[in-house]
Parts: sequence; structure tokens; C-alpha cells
Amino acid sequence: MITIENLTVAYVEEKRIIDSLDVAFSPGTIHGIVGLNGAGKTTLLNAIFGLKKKQSGTITYNGVPINKREMSYLMTESFFYSNITGREYLRLFKNKQFHVDRWNDLFLLPLDEIIDTYSSGMKKKLALLGILMQNKPVMVLDEPFNNLDIESCRIIRSILLKLKDMGKTILITSHIIETLTNLCDTIYYLEQGKIKNTISKPDFGKFEQEIFSAIESRNEKLVAELLGSAPLSGKQVKLYEPAFQRAIEHRDLFRRF
Amino acid sequence: MITAYFHIRLKQMLRAIASLGWIRILFMAGIVAFLIPGLFDQLSRKPHVYYVFVVFYAILLMVHLKRSDRLFLKTHFVNPKLICFTEYLVISSLLIPGLLIHHQWIAMAVILPAILIIVQVDRLPGARSLHSGLISKMVRFIPDGSFEWKSGIRSSFIFMALIWIIGMGTSFYIGSVPVVLFILGIMPLGFYEKGEPVQMLLAFEKEANGFLWYKIRTSLALFTAISLLLIAAFLVFHPGRWYIPVAEYILFLMLHSYFILTKYAFYEPNTKSGGLQVFGAIGTIGVIIPILLPIVWLLTIRFYLKSRKNLNFYLNDYH
Repeated sequence: MITIENLTVAYVEEKRIIDSLDVAFSPGTIHGIVGLNGAGKTTLLNAIFGLKKKQSGTITYNGVPINKREMSYLMTESFFYSNITGREYLRLFKNKQFHVDRWNDLFLLPLDEIIDTYSSGMKKKLALLGILMQNKPVMVLDEPFNNLDIESCRIIRSILLKLKDMGKTILITSHIIETLTNLCDTIYYLEQGKIKNTISKPDFGKFEQEIFSAIESRNEKLVAELLGSAPLSGKQVKLYEPAFQRAIEHRDLFRRF
Repeated sequence: MITAYFHIRLKQMLRAIASLGWIRILFMAGIVAFLIPGLFDQLSRKPHVYYVFVVFYAILLMVHLKRSDRLFLKTHFVNPKLICFTEYLVISSLLIPGLLIHHQWIAMAVILPAILIIVQVDRLPGARSLHSGLISKMVRFIPDGSFEWKSGIRSSFIFMALIWIIGMGTSFYIGSVPVVLFILGIMPLGFYEKGEPVQMLLAFEKEANGFLWYKIRTSLALFTAISLLLIAAFLVFHPGRWYIPVAEYILFLMLHSYFILTKYAFYEPNTKSGGLQVFGAIGTIGVIIPILLPIVWLLTIRFYLKSRKNLNFYLNDYH
């Protein structure tokens, strides 16, 4: 069990990215963290993994301060060292039980080629192979499905479900709610560094609707305001359909506010 | 847009200087003040002016080949080569007053063609052949943990091999091996300029001291493997001057250790550290001007402590 108590992370003192956050992540569960860009998802994962200094609070795993020995972390961007091959990268992780080539049958990566020649999706798959190879009890995955094709998404989804059954604690962030509702047991909605809402599986459908309509209505109002102050040309409007089109239709309505 | 670009460049430079802090700025200013009269003096003499010219543009070529903003320039400017050309012309203005004052017209006349050639070069010869069988076989002998060397050897194998063969083949000339050893000692320092992703750092599962020791040990072993036969060849032809390559070899062992410690003192994942570039240059100058060696030794100690502290942030769980 990962327990986070009163966690505060700030880049500058006045601007808290994570603000007095309390949450617990149970083992054998996939936990989703969702939120708009800048909500603090990546900062939270960085703090859990120890890459971001915390201003206050504690993060423990089974009652003791959390430790990198127990965690593997897939970052949003799959960074690699240039001019090394996929196989050379994987050989850094010492796990003799892990059969790289057998696992690679799932992803079909050209492991003996230089990583620089990989597409961004292939790099993501290579990073995921590295995570699987480390075989740690806690897996922290920041946007793991970005840049992946449908087949790879399905493969990774099935791997994660099996890992969950093996008792691993899995934390996943995404800004795409549908990705998480298909996979997670619990979803935490993060806004301005605080958990605004915790939703468990039976309520996912309702939650999805609420979130979508909240975001949509807020954006439409803002778009209408902007359009009111500086009307767009017909050509520009076409580019932003359909959300902008709806906003234009309601422009008069919003102006009354 | 070009004006805006150069405005950004100027701001970048000022920010980089400001980030050094006053003590380091004064230190750097002292070194520059020490070097400029020497450079000015060299420009007055033939053939020294040509040596300075070749070294200056060789360094500029290396900088050009390692530019990380190529994609940015290609996607934002119609003529990225013109941007590079203008930049290098501004950099060349370091030499131009000295050349004019000393009436070095030939060197003056070659500046523009030299810059034009540099901006046309996209990569070193052999850099395309990353997948060649020979290079793959050679790289297998390098330990997996020395990914900097694997990466560096792949990108500059042909060039390094050529230099090494020339060094061996001409080792009967007394100056040949020391010059080749110098080039082969300097080149691997560039392997360390980029910080690896944090996952690669953590993959070692070592604490800071153990990690640094591993990095230094493997780097020195690899440099020894490159230089051993060259030194042996020199000793066969010039046994009375045994101390020249030995002293050079020891200096480079020290410089490699210094570079590794500097890299991790300023390490940030996935970034090229400005600190390494500045202090790396000081270390390299320290090898060329031995009077600066004590400063390099002091900095080595300082960066050992700093790198331990910096790495502890990432590796604190592996104690």
C-alpha cells in the first residue's frame, strides 16, 4: 500500500503544483489519475518516484518511506541515449529471468537497430519492455498509451491486467478518460494539485459524462467570450468546428452574463 | 525573424553567463584575459597563424556537427545554413581584428570559404555507417554500462580508427604518437556531454560512490585500450623519450576522470549541461597549459563532492 499524506510540491513557494494531498493506493489494483494539462499529474508521479523534491508530507510504501528499489517509472517522454541499440538499452536492467526476445514477440521491435531510428511508438514500447524487465512491485506509468497503435494498446492493457492479478500496484495517468475507464479500478480526478473526485468502477460512466459536460461548458463560455472580443473570420471558424461553431451560436446568450 | 532569432541567441548567452555566478564569471574572464594576448601573439607569426586558424575552424566544425538545434532551424527558417553562416561569421570576428592588424591576408581570405565549407557539412565521414558489421563487433567489447562509449564510438569510429592507424603507421616520427594520442584523448570527452535518462542511471542500482567509481574505472580502461599500442609503438622507436606519451597518458586519465565527475556534478536527466561545457573547457585548457593543472586538481576534488551530492538525489535509495 502506498500512502501519501499532506503532500505539497511547489516550483515556487506561492505556486503549489500539488497542494496538501492525501491519498492511498492499494496493491493488486490499477489506479488512474486523470486531469487537464497542468493539473499536477506528472508532478505527483515525479514526487512519488523521488524525482521532485516535496515541500512537505510523507510518501510511504507498506509503512516505510517509499524507495526506488520497489518502483519502476515510465515517463511521458521516452528518452534514450543516442546511438545505442534497443538490446543494449535493455541489457542495462539486470534480470536473467526475463527473456527479451520472447517478450519482444509481442512488440516486434528491431532490437539490434539504433534507437534513434525507432518511431515514437516503438520507443514507448521499448521503454515499457524496460519497465517489465525491472519487475518491481510498484509501477508508475505516465501516459503509457501515448503514441501507441490500437494493437499495442490492447497488448499493454492485457499485460497490465495480468500484473494487477499478480498483486502489483499500478499508477497510470492519462488526460484521456476513456483510456482509464477501460482499465482502472479507481480513478482520481486531479485539479489544481488536489484530488477533486475519487470514482470507483461502477460510477465511471456517470463520471465521464460529468467531466465532459463540465469541461465543455467552461470552454464554450471562454470561447464565446474570446469570439465576442475578436470575431474570427469564416475561414478560421471552419478550422475550429464544431466546438467553436456551437460557441458562436450561443454568443449572444453568453454576452448577457 | 532572423533578428528575433539573434535576439534570442543573445538572451541565451546572457542567461548562460548569469547562471555561472560572479566568482565563475571572474575566473573565466581571467582565463580569457590570459589567453587573448597569447592568441594575438600567435596571429602575428607564420606559420603559427595557420595552426591557430586550423584549430579554430576544427573546433567550429565540431561545434557545428554537435548542434542540437538543427531540427529547430530547419523547421523555422527557409535557409538554416544562412543562420549558421551568420553565427560563425560573428564568432570569427574573434580572429579578424588580429589578422587585420598583423596583415595576415591569406588567412583573412580563407575565412569565408572555411565557414562556407563548415555550414555544408552535416556529419563526419563514417557517421552514416552506424550499422556496419565491423562497428557492431567492436562495440560488443565495450561494457553495457559504458553506453557513452558505445554511442560515441558508433558515431566517430571511422574517424578515430583512421587517426589511430595514421598514428601507428607514422610512429617512427617523434611528434606523431603524441599528437594522435592528444586527438584520441580529447575525442571521448565529447561522449560525456549529454546526461542520460534517469532510468539508465537507476539501472545500475548503485549508490553514488560506487556508480562514479564504475564509470571512471571503465572509461580509463577503454582509453587505455585505445592508447596502449600507440604508446608501445612510440617506445619501440624512441625509448629515450618514454616519458612523453606516458605523461600524456597520465594527463588524459586525469582529464577523463575530471570530465566524468564534472558531468555528474551538473547532471540533469536528458540535458546537455552548460556547467560541463564551461568546466570541461577549463580542464582541457589545463592539459594544454600545465600552469593551470593545480586548478584542475582542485576542481576535481570539488566536483567529486558535488557529483556525490547531486547523484545522491537520484540514487539515495541504493545505499
